[in-house]
Amino acid sequence: MFDIFGFLVSWLTLFGIYAILSLCLNMEIGYTGMTNFGLVAFLGIGAFVTGYVSISMFLSLYGYNYPIYSLDAVIAMGQISGKNPLLNLSAFVASLILSFLVSGAIGYLITYPTLRVGPAFLGITILSFGEMLRIFMKHFEPTGGAYGLLGIPNPFAWVPDPALKSQLFMLTTLAILAGVFLYYRKLSESPYGRVLRSIREDEVASLCLGKPVPAVKARLLFVASGISGIAGSLLVFYTGSVSPDMFVTAVTFEVWGMVIVGGRGNHTGALVGAVLFSLLNRVSSALSFLFPGMLFDPNYVRWMLVGVIIVAALMYRPKGIFPEKPIRTEAWNIFEGPATDRGLKKRLLEVLKRSARWLLG
Amino acid sequence: MCALLEVKGVSISFGGVEALKDVSLKVEEGSLTGLIGPNGSGKSTLFNVITGIYRPSSGVVLFQGKRIDGLNPNEIYEMGIARTFQNPRPFGSMTTLENLMLSPKGQRGESILKAPLKRSWLDEELEIANNVKTLMSQVGMLDFYKIPASDLSGGHTKMLETSKGILGGARLILLDEPTAGVQYAVGRRIFEHIDSLRKRLNLTYFVIEHRIDILFDFADYVYVLHMGKLIAEGRPEEVASNPEVIKAYIGG
Repeated sequence: MFDIFGFLVSWLTLFGIYAILSLCLNMEIGYTGMTNFGLVAFLGIGAFVTGYVSISMFLSLYGYNYPIYSLDAVIAMGQISGKNPLLNLSAFVASLILSFLVSGAIGYLITYPTLRVGPAFLGITILSFGEMLRIFMKHFEPTGGAYGLLGIPNPFAWVPDPALKSQLFMLTTLAILAGVFLYYRKLSESPYGRVLRSIREDEVASLCLGKPVPAVKARLLFVASGISGIAGSLLVFYTGSVSPDMFVTAVTFEVWGMVIVGGRGNHTGALVGAVLFSLLNRVSSALSFLFPGMLFDPNYVRWMLVGVIIVAALMYRPKGIFPEKPIRTEAWNIFEGPATDRGLKKRLLEVLKRSARWLLG
Repeated sequence: MCALLEVKGVSISFGGVEALKDVSLKVEEGSLTGLIGPNGSGKSTLFNVITGIYRPSSGVVLFQGKRIDGLNPNEIYEMGIARTFQNPRPFGSMTTLENLMLSPKGQRGESILKAPLKRSWLDEELEIANNVKTLMSQVGMLDFYKIPASDLSGGHTKMLETSKGILGGARLILLDEPTAGVQYAVGRRIFEHIDSLRKRLNLTYFVIEHRIDILFDFADYVYVLHMGKLIAEGRPEEVASNPEVIKAYIGG
C-alpha cells in the first residue's frame, strides 16, 4: 500500500534541504550576480564534514578504534547510535556548526582569487573545483573513498517509532529553513541588499560609488557557502550515508532550475521553485517504486524534465513565477506621503495586504 | 585658492601604445575645469587613472596633498572624488530612489553583520532618504522615485548620474561628457544646474566635454589633450584662439 503520509514527510524533508540551497543560490546569483556553478561542492563539503564529525564523535566516546569507514564501524554505529539522545543531538549541532564553518571558509578561499574576473570565469572555476573535489573524495581513503561513509547517526535515532523519527527530523529541517529564510529576508531588505544588487547591475560603477566589491562578494560567499554546507549536513543526516557520487554537477543545475523558475532575486520564488523540483524528485521516485516494470525509469525522465522546465521558463517567463521587487526599506514611506483616508475598511484592507506581502515576500 | 587635485607627470601605456605621456595638471578648489581633446586623445583614460581604475606606469596623483594613485576605486570615492561615465551607468533594474540611496558612503546598514539588525541603521536610512528627497525635488525628479533607472529619459539619467556624487559628500566631481546625447538646450540646463550646485555647495568640477560652446561659457580653466599629451591650457578664450588647438581639432 502506498503511504501518503510517509510520502509527504519525505517530500517536505527534501524540500527543506533543497529550499535552503535555492535560497543560498538566490542570494549569490539573484542578488549579487555571482554565477555559482559549483554549489554542489559546498553541499558535499558539509556532507562529508558531518559524516566525519558525527561518526568520529560516537566511536571515540564509546572507545572503539575502528577507522570510521570500516564495516566494523558501521556495525558498531548500528548498536550505539540509539542509546544516548544527548550525544545524538550534540553530534547533530556540532556537525551543523562545523559544516557551516568549513564550507564557508572554503567558499571564501576558493573564490578569493577569482573575484576580480568576470562572472563566466567565476562559474567555470567553481564548477571545476566541485568536480575535482568529487573525484578527489572518490580516492580519499579517510572518508571511505568511492564507497563513502555509512551509519551516520540520525539526531532522533533514539526515538523508537520510525514514523515519529522522520517527522521530528522533518520539523527540524523546516525550522532551520524558516530561520534561513527570515535571515536572508532581513539581510536583503536593507542597504546591504541594495549594495548586492548594484554589484549585479554594474560592478565597476558600484566600485566607483565606494562599495568594496571584492570584500562584499567574499563575505557573502562565506555566509552562503556555509549555509549550503548546513544543507549538506541535513542531507546526510536524512539519508544516513554519504558518498562522493551524490554530488554530481546535475544537482547544482537542479537548484539553478529552482531559482530560475521561481524568480531570481525573490526569496519566495526560490521557495516555490524548491517546492516544484522537490515534488518532481519525490513523485518520480515514488512512480518508479510503485510501477517497477516500466519501459523506462521515471528517475531518468526527471533529469530531462529539469532541462525542459528551465528552457520553458526562460522562454515564457524569463523573470520567473515571482519576479524581483524593489527593496523597500523605510525610505519608501518618506516618498509615499501620508495616507489621506484611513477608514476602518481601508485599514483592514491595508492589514490584509501587508500580511499577504509579508507572507509572499 | 590651492590645488585640490594635482596630476604630476602621469604616463600610462597599453601594450606599447602610450595613452598618456607625461601629463601634469591642476584642478583648483571651487573651480569648474574643462578637459577637451579629439576622440582617442586620452581624456577618459586620465579619468580612469584619477579614480583608480587604471594604475599609471609612472607619475603621481595628489588629492588634497595626499597621494591617491595605487588606491582602489572605492577608497578614492571614500576620500571624496566621485565620477560619472561617458555612457551613463545607472543600476538599470533598480529604482531611481535605490540608485540614489546607494551614494552616501560608510552606511551602517551596508555591513553584512549589521544589515539584519534594522534598529542599528534605521535612523541613518531615514536621514539619507530625507536628503535624497530634497535633492530629487531640486532637480525636479521627485515623481520618478519608483521608476527603474533604465526607464528614465536620457536627460534624467544624466541628472541622476550627476546627483550621485553630491549625495556621497564628494569634494571633487569628475564628469565624463555630461551633455553627450542630449539636445543643446538640455545640455545648457545641465551645465546651469552643475554651476549652481558648485556655487551653493562649494564643489569642484572637472569636466570632459565635446560641446565646447557650452563648456567655454561655464569653465574657469581648460586643458587640451591631443594624442596623450597636453598641448594647451588656459582660460577658455585663450584656448579658443590657440593655433595648436585649432590644428588638433581640424587636423592638417
